[in-house]
Amino acid sequence: MNVDLDDHLEEARRRIAEAADEAALRAVERAYVDKGGVVAEMLASIPGLPPEDRKAVGVNANRLKTAIQEALEARRSELADAELEARRGARGFDPTVPGTPQRRGSLHPLTQLQRHVEDVFTSMGYLVLDGPEVELDEYNFQKLNIPADHPAREMQDTFWCDRDQHLVLRTHTSPVQIRAMEQLEPPFRTIVPGRVFRNEELDATHSHTFHQVEGLCVAEGVAVGHLVMTLRTALREVLMKDDLDVRLRPGYFPFVEPGFELDVRCPFCADGCRICKHTTWIEFCGCGMVHPNVLRAGGIDPERFSGFAFGFGLDRLAMMWAAIDDVRHFLEADLRFLEQF
Amino acid sequence: MDVSYRWLQRHVDLEGVSPGDLARELTLHTAEVEDLRPFAPALGTVVVGHVVSRERHPDADKLSLCRVDVGNGDPLQIVCGAPNVDARQNVAVATVGAVLPGDFKIKKSKIRGVESRGMICSERELGLGEEHDGIWVLPEGLSVGAPVAEALGSIEGPGGVRALDWIVEIDNKSLTHRPDLWGHRGIAAEVAAIRGLPLKPLDLELPPTGDGAPFPVRIETAGCSRYVALPIEGVQVTRSPDWLRMLLLAAGQRPLDLLVDVSNFVMLDLGQPNHLFDGEALRSGIVVRDARPGERMTTLDGTERELGPEDMLICDGDEPVALAGVMGGEGSKVNPGTHRLLLEVASFHPVTVRRTASRLGLRSSASARFEKHLDPTLPGKAAAHLVNFLRELGQDVRLPAPPTDAGDWTDPARTVRLRGARVRSLLGVELSTAEIGALLERLHFGVAPGADADELAVSIPSARATKDLSIEEDLVEEVGRLIGYDRIPEQALTDAVHPMARDERRVLVRRVQDRLSGGARFHEARTHTFLPAELAAALGVADEPYVRVVNPASEGLERVRRGVVPSLLGRLETNLRERPEVRLFEIGKGYRPEVEGDRGQPAEVHEVALVLAAPRPGPGARFDAGAQARLTGVVDDVVRTVRRRELTWSRAEGPLPGWAHPGRTAVGAVAEAGEGPPVALVTELDPVAARRLGLEEHDVAAAWIAVDALAAVPIPRSWFQPLPRFPGVKVDVALECPEELAHAELAAAVEKAGKGLVRELELFDLYRGENLGAGRKSLAYHVLLQAADRTLTDKDCARFLDRVERAAGDLGARLRRE
Repeated sequence: MNVDLDDHLEEARRRIAEAADEAALRAVERAYVDKGGVVAEMLASIPGLPPEDRKAVGVNANRLKTAIQEALEARRSELADAELEARRGARGFDPTVPGTPQRRGSLHPLTQLQRHVEDVFTSMGYLVLDGPEVELDEYNFQKLNIPADHPAREMQDTFWCDRDQHLVLRTHTSPVQIRAMEQLEPPFRTIVPGRVFRNEELDATHSHTFHQVEGLCVAEGVAVGHLVMTLRTALREVLMKDDLDVRLRPGYFPFVEPGFELDVRCPFCADGCRICKHTTWIEFCGCGMVHPNVLRAGGIDPERFSGFAFGFGLDRLAMMWAAIDDVRHFLEADLRFLEQF
Repeated sequence: MDVSYRWLQRHVDLEGVSPGDLARELTLHTAEVEDLRPFAPALGTVVVGHVVSRERHPDADKLSLCRVDVGNGDPLQIVCGAPNVDARQNVAVATVGAVLPGDFKIKKSKIRGVESRGMICSERELGLGEEHDGIWVLPEGLSVGAPVAEALGSIEGPGGVRALDWIVEIDNKSLTHRPDLWGHRGIAAEVAAIRGLPLKPLDLELPPTGDGAPFPVRIETAGCSRYVALPIEGVQVTRSPDWLRMLLLAAGQRPLDLLVDVSNFVMLDLGQPNHLFDGEALRSGIVVRDARPGERMTTLDGTERELGPEDMLICDGDEPVALAGVMGGEGSKVNPGTHRLLLEVASFHPVTVRRTASRLGLRSSASARFEKHLDPTLPGKAAAHLVNFLRELGQDVRLPAPPTDAGDWTDPARTVRLRGARVRSLLGVELSTAEIGALLERLHFGVAPGADADELAVSIPSARATKDLSIEEDLVEEVGRLIGYDRIPEQALTDAVHPMARDERRVLVRRVQDRLSGGARFHEARTHTFLPAELAAALGVADEPYVRVVNPASEGLERVRRGVVPSLLGRLETNLRERPEVRLFEIGKGYRPEVEGDRGQPAEVHEVALVLAAPRPGPGARFDAGAQARLTGVVDDVVRTVRRRELTWSRAEGPLPGWAHPGRTAVGAVAEAGEGPPVALVTELDPVAARRLGLEEHDVAAAWIAVDALAAVPIPRSWFQPLPRFPGVKVDVALECPEELAHAELAAAVEKAGKGLVRELELFDLYRGENLGAGRKSLAYHVLLQAADRTLTDKDCARFLDRVERAAGDLGARLRRE
């Protein structure tokens, strides 16, 4: 009887050890443990046995069942481990197969650059303002010290929106200087990015619609030196060049006095290139000390406060920055262009 | 403006100031120099040759056979076709290997069987104007064999290049406010001031005249404030000397004959245009008047012009002889044999001249100067200068009568007070008031003590006072530019700056841009503010009220857009040629003239415009696969992202723009925000517009979100909700109903039937089909029921569905139980 038991156990263990998958283990389980299996047969035989043997057979049958179940569990766990180990292998993996495409849209290059400029100036305490594109003549010209007979008012430069020249498409962002002065109490600093219009022939470098960033700072005791330091500091950030140099030279704009052109040292070369026309300087923006007539027009006392203003073209900066060869791309809404940014 | 370095030397000693120095210093102190280039570089490649002998070409009557000494003891045989070539002349010779303008390379050649080793040059071949009647004969006494530029006296420029002269090109725009710099004398005065050099004296006094009767002049227009007329006799009209021709050429002026050249010389020297009439052709007196409406005259260029009262005429009696300040008339040309001239030097109103010149497309070097508010004291001086210059050229000039000086003008010279403290505070430099005075004197201002020790009374000469200089700050600029802006120390701003107000609109715009370009995969565009006429017509919006530009960039671009959507719709067709689907957005402005502001300005519309064009979904596609549903989803998502609000959509009421589908347009509002304009609109592109735009094959939707309305929607505080402790039950609800019943009504009924247990409700199918019958549809929802205090049972579901069934019945809908 004991021999029989040991044989059964040995046979079951062998089969369990040989089992390569769950199906084989289930077969063992069915043969020994399940209803109609070896253990069940042993237990079923008990009523026919002599009474003194019955207990021993019952105990042995249960021992056999337990032993087989333990062996099954151990083997199952082994197989599961082997399966996990197998899954850790490198087969079927090609690291060069591309990932699932995550398509995206895009921000207009001028938006991206405008945000960069806004972020630089807001970090320096500048408020970003907005103004209307259809503007009153009074703000676009008169209050900016551009008298009635100034050439800038002539038909070839300005888009007039009515016959009596009361409304214009603003020719610069400078009218917002006046609007800022009307809204804010000095001291204040503000920049105004926006769309402007000039009646010019369209070509690769000229558009009748382009974008400017205006800047205005008004406080007591503001001098030319403040303008230079502000623009040098800001432009180093904007152009991301820590040792960028700037210079002022005379420039004429009716709404500033003195007026300057500000050049930046060419960030693309050391001794002259195509972009700086071999001068090492790039004309960057018009600027100057706010004309006393303009301060007065904005309701600010020029004897108490002074200020500086500047304005530069965003399109030209973007063209320089991304080597864009034609200003017309900006307003064509051509996806072949937009998708590049 | 082209400035000749050699010309400047007539007015200031430029010893030690190279052309490069001059260009740089003018840029840093005065006006932008755009270019510095050598004058007639060919003169450095041709050499002085001496014609030793000239014979007739054996086989050609019109050709000469010359032997030309070029200084190397081996005279060259050169065949020359010019009629004026002769022995003993000095000429400019291009030897074999030389390259002339136009990439013209000189080679050894045979002309009619005779060898020719070089070319004797005409002026045109050397880039010296148009003169090509014969060869250019050089003065005697030149060093034979030397480059012509050197023999005539060359000037060294940048890079060691030597040239007869250097051209300094100044950006005209940077001279807009400086009428005094439109002549060489003025530029020389700047150079003298920058360098602290003396300006050479110039005689601007008229020599004594005869006592004949002054020429009659009558001014009948406000456009002419001064008219000086001076009869001149005894001028021999010849060719100008070479040195004068070279100066004019360097300054960009083509030399013609002595009279024209002298007139131009005076203009380019003093900046004052002037005109010489044939005195013998003038019958009556000069009358300056406005043209009559429709009056015609033929200008010097042979074109007949139609004029009007905004144009000003110079007349002989009543007969127009010149368009004042712009161009002479054909009839006033000086005849070669004339002995009597009438010199006109006048002050014309800048705006009148500019408008006439610009309207007729006749911008000339004279009109460009008149436009700049010329010094009214100049005409008298310019007349004297012209007479004196003719004498310098050896002309035996007689002045039979004193000049007529008509008009009503005042000398603009004025005195401006200047506080030293003002200079120091605006420039931020330490300069004593005495130093400031000295700097201003260098700039040719008169400086006297002012009311106190820190004040100066600065007299501004008439040349600077017409427009440029009138207030204290103008003089601050003069001081600043003369010391050089590089001498101004940088300063850090130290004023207190208030924290920036939060700019809600700007924050919002950035978040919308990010959401659309990120999650929604839209591409941001920027398009033109002008709405092209043909696009307006295609979209059926040509007749809406527009702000209109009266002088458009081109015909058809008069309309300023009312909103941004049409501009984007106009860009779909070309983009769709390249790809099956296009998603574009733009945040921009439009203008509505029918809503006027307090000053008559149009109402501004600031909007996010979106367009989506895709292939039409196939028959098996989901009910929400179409462009309009997708775009609605994008708009919902934007509002949810930036405002944490749900839009309530309803059928658009009232008139719609032509591009909006009349039956398929929805407007979205934020219910909690109360009555107000809609926040958004989504539509299918109107089929008629789609056909006109060539978009019939596509499924196109368009939308806008009003930036200001969206910014006005408050963001609700979002309060924490306890996490659910009991599992929910998912139930699908399918409702069949008439076409007219809206989803929103059904959804509300379902929600209500849940008695507070509906946690989620999602429409997942919308079906129309024959089995439902015409005019009916079926909507199916996933519903999640969940209670906060217990696990829901099948019984709860059954009760919920019963309530839904009753509620649906009340609406005319039927719950479909499978």
